[in-house]
Amino acid sequence: MHYRLVLTLLTIIMVTISAGLAYVEWSRGGGGTGLYSRHWSPDPGQGYWDPDNFYRSPDSVQGVFEGELCIQCHEGITPGIVVDWRASSHAQGENPVYCNDCHGNDHQQLRLPTPRVCGNCHQKQHSEFRDEARFGFPSHVLAMERAVDAPHFVDKPTAEVQACVQCHSVATKCDSCHSRHRFDAAEARRPEACITCHSGPPHPDGETYFASAHGKLYLAEGDDWDWSKPLTKGNYKVPTCAYCHMDGGRHQVAHKSLWKFGLREVNPHTSKNRILRKRWISLCSDCHQQEQAAQWLRELDEERKRAWKKLYAAENILKELRSDDLLYPAAGERPPYPMDWLDSIWPTERIGFFEGQASAFYNVSAIERDYFEMWYFDNLGSYKAAAHGDVAGVEAGHQKLNRSLDHINEKAEGLRMHDEAGERAGAGSKPQVELWTKGAYTDHNREHN
Amino acid sequence: MKGTLCLLMLLPLFTPHPTLADDLLPPGPFTESECINCHNELDPELIRQWREGPHAGTSGSGCSGCHGDRHTGSAGTAREDQVCTGCHEGPASHSYATSKHGIITRLAKRRQDWQQPLQRGNYRSPGCSYCHLHDRDHGDTMASSQGPEVRHWICSGCHSPRYVREQFASGKRQLDIADLKLSEGETLISSTIEPEPDMLLSLRQDLIRHRQNVLLGVGHQSPDYQWWHGQPALDGDLIRIRDAIYTLNRTENNARNATSIEKD
Repeated sequence: MHYRLVLTLLTIIMVTISAGLAYVEWSRGGGGTGLYSRHWSPDPGQGYWDPDNFYRSPDSVQGVFEGELCIQCHEGITPGIVVDWRASSHAQGENPVYCNDCHGNDHQQLRLPTPRVCGNCHQKQHSEFRDEARFGFPSHVLAMERAVDAPHFVDKPTAEVQACVQCHSVATKCDSCHSRHRFDAAEARRPEACITCHSGPPHPDGETYFASAHGKLYLAEGDDWDWSKPLTKGNYKVPTCAYCHMDGGRHQVAHKSLWKFGLREVNPHTSKNRILRKRWISLCSDCHQQEQAAQWLRELDEERKRAWKKLYAAENILKELRSDDLLYPAAGERPPYPMDWLDSIWPTERIGFFEGQASAFYNVSAIERDYFEMWYFDNLGSYKAAAHGDVAGVEAGHQKLNRSLDHINEKAEGLRMHDEAGERAGAGSKPQVELWTKGAYTDHNREHN
Repeated sequence: MKGTLCLLMLLPLFTPHPTLADDLLPPGPFTESECINCHNELDPELIRQWREGPHAGTSGSGCSGCHGDRHTGSAGTAREDQVCTGCHEGPASHSYATSKHGIITRLAKRRQDWQQPLQRGNYRSPGCSYCHLHDRDHGDTMASSQGPEVRHWICSGCHSPRYVREQFASGKRQLDIADLKLSEGETLISSTIEPEPDMLLSLRQDLIRHRQNVLLGVGHQSPDYQWWHGQPALDGDLIRIRDAIYTLNRTENNARNATSIEKD
């Protein structure tokens, strides 16, 4: 009897797992990429950001070209890149790396070089870059898949989310850091190489680094340093983004990633994280005493604890409002977005990291948006300031967290008060559905997405 | 023969080697009217562009505002980004400064020969002047009135014509989306009771600012301005506008219902 039960259960489990895997495989078979590939098709410009998947060669010129032939023509058509290439190390030596070595030689079958193409010569860097995937996200190598697997990538018009793929193309092209066609390692070592993507509200890495003692010294003196030196002990007066995050020139930024961007609470003392802490302390010891470095890490632990206390307080307020059905519009009352099919079965507001709050910045109630900003802007800003040694930034970040928490508190009280007043006045139903479901952008998204 | 000699002597003035030309020119300092009077004789087209462009008539941006009041090095000085960012601060310069173009320009600044004319192939990366004052233009080469061909020509000095076309088209589509959000917000605000409460007025300002950020993000190729300073910020504005209207109406409704219950 038991034998039969176990067998039946096992069969059900096997069938479910196989069906699940088959569904995931099927879902990847659409016109886009990733888990939701059947729900979106690429913008015409997306091939420039994700060449392996979407780049189509131009067909305007016929013929097979190599070496100086390419240069001769492009010197007139696009002289800027030829000047860049001539100054690059690709153009030096007896066997220059010509255009066709990376782009191919048939002008109707050109390719944009991807990390795989660069990896043909730069094997060490390429294998390090690929290997970063084992540390999970956030990381550079997984950046594009995570971008397209976010529900908002599908929910929003394709044209709008082209802004996302520009930074997330760090996974699909090497020139995010090694600007084409100079590909100068000396430039990629400087902090500016990172800040086109690592700046702004959710990841003010540039702002907090430049405000730190390290960053201020860099700004004052960095132009005079020899940036051709490798990122190793003794070569630089202060550390830069790459010195710490890609120490020794290792093409991985996630191999010491302890705090996971500040997105979720992390126990910094697990056995795995203790190894990461040692890596940081060893790195800081290039210049500082070990005990001092350990103390800074403890201060960062404390900052994170303080931040998460505030975030959880806000999260609890929101969850209580959700239990009392006081979030308006509620999940089932919002305009239908493509990725809401799950919501149509079981509508629920996403509160907190593990419920998918990363997409809770549109089509949510105002107080949810407030919490999104508290979590994604104020919290990450404080974290970046603490991690980069921007003392004033930590203080400013925590003031913002306090203000946001106060605001969420007040707003929640207002919602409860309104509800009681409404009940007393006999206005139990929530009117104005059209207020949330109609509008130029909302209609466009519903009709064209 | 004499005429040819005279022309040959004048040649250094018109060659792109400015050091030589600088040496031959009277050193200055000059007043604004002296600059304009002389250069109007030499190159009336240039003065016309300036007069019809965005800088004429604004305080502090006569010739000396960018070139200084002497001839020595005046062209090279005026080409560097910091001349522009002294006035154009805030999102306009920040969106450019954090773009790849802005960053490469800053990193290559010392190796760049700023005496080179602002023409294709002469600059590692476009600074403010390379695009906006391209090839001696003293108006704004990026102004919409110049037409798309001029912008395409400037960008395609480094990028393939198809890439340029698709970047502009993609930018236009992004901006169209931002305009839809702006229009949605404006319509919502204008549907409310008069006079608009202060909160809605300030939300309207946010909408306009964030839509402008998308434009700057697209124009300056800054993903952060297209996105975090732009599109999701507009989403937040729409949520808050709706919430403000909903709260206003609900307060009114509750008050009205409470009064009618009391009357009953």
